[in-house]
Amino acid sequence: MIASLEPIVGRYVTLEVAGRPSRVYFEEAGQGRPVLCLHTAGADTRQWRHILNDPGLTATNRFIAFDMPWHGKSLPPGGFQTEEYLLTTEGYMETVLAMVAALGLDKPILAGCSMGGRIALQLAALHPDVFSGFIAIEASDFQPAWYDIDWFHRPDAHGGEMGAALVSANISPYAPEAERWNTLWMFMQSGPGVFRGDLSFYTKDDSLVRRLDRIDTRKTPVHLLVGAYDLTCTPEDAARTAAAIPGATLAVMDELGHFPMSEHPQGFRSYFADALDRMPAAA
Amino acid sequence: MLDRFQAAQRRLESQPHLLRLGALFTETVLVEIDGAEIYLHFEEGRLVSVMPGPSRKTPWRFALRTDRAALEAFWQPRPAPGFHDIFGLVKIGRGRIDGDILALVKNLRFFKEFMALPRQGDLA
Repeated sequence: MIASLEPIVGRYVTLEVAGRPSRVYFEEAGQGRPVLCLHTAGADTRQWRHILNDPGLTATNRFIAFDMPWHGKSLPPGGFQTEEYLLTTEGYMETVLAMVAALGLDKPILAGCSMGGRIALQLAALHPDVFSGFIAIEASDFQPAWYDIDWFHRPDAHGGEMGAALVSANISPYAPEAERWNTLWMFMQSGPGVFRGDLSFYTKDDSLVRRLDRIDTRKTPVHLLVGAYDLTCTPEDAARTAAAIPGATLAVMDELGHFPMSEHPQGFRSYFADALDRMPAAA
Repeated sequence: MLDRFQAAQRRLESQPHLLRLGALFTETVLVEIDGAEIYLHFEEGRLVSVMPGPSRKTPWRFALRTDRAALEAFWQPRPAPGFHDIFGLVKIGRGRIDGDILALVKNLRFFKEFMALPRQGDLA
């Protein structure tokens, strides 16, 4: 007997980012309104698999999630072996915009978590015409690091294992044990220096602070979601950010942490469904 | 509090995965609770001694300083936000970590899971 197959389908596309080709892996499921999903630092598209496998959500939404270059099954660009990977706001935005163009997505909703939420808000401020709305999860204007990012890329230690042990501080004790460890596994698998390179952008670039008031939520609604157990982007950080965006809305998820769609899919579902309901219908 | 750490010491012996993860961890850790010192001496993942302070002669690699109520909250099966992790205690101002933090981070999973052993129920 053939096993029951999940509806998620994965493919590859080559994007041009910073003048170089980049082979990017993406997954999709569902039909209808396009929703582009961004993973957190140091992880990959697997964080979104529960949403992409949810028939109640995929009935009317076409979810697309992609691994950023250097992450998951996307390759680093040619010549990476002598490069120091340091993500930038500009490079990240260019990658997301290239993905929208490559797949011909018509005004997708952009849903991003952590650094993905941060870049969603940057795009809301700088490229709102490309999208129809923004769901910013565990996202805020800026937080400096409460750790040393260089810990995660050293020749005398395993950056992935250290990174996983550190980010476990951001997972709620309500998270089911299996999903807690599936979430941490992605960090354990992250390529050398990748988590550090993501965090470099996330913990040093505060340019969003001065751009939040440019966001026009009458044209593109913004809904923020934040877990009470998130130590990196706390509910206070998210509330401060939401307050600086006229018309933005915020929901605090009492029993969730920094990786809600991955660490506790059941607990996250109703909050994400509500966020989708707040977004415009398909164009 | 000394008895809680002695009980955790016994429980550690029944956690083969922690003994494996801590196989390269041979350090002395200072835990300070409301100013009272407890020195935990680990050898290759085993907690070989739990010594009360005060001591000015015991070198330690890193220290976790907190208070009794915070630690009790940390040991609840489902701690409140901030009390759910040793870095959470630091973030909410109920803990401080000093010393060779890199030694802690290199052994972070081991040490965090050791510290959380009392969450698993009665350690008496």
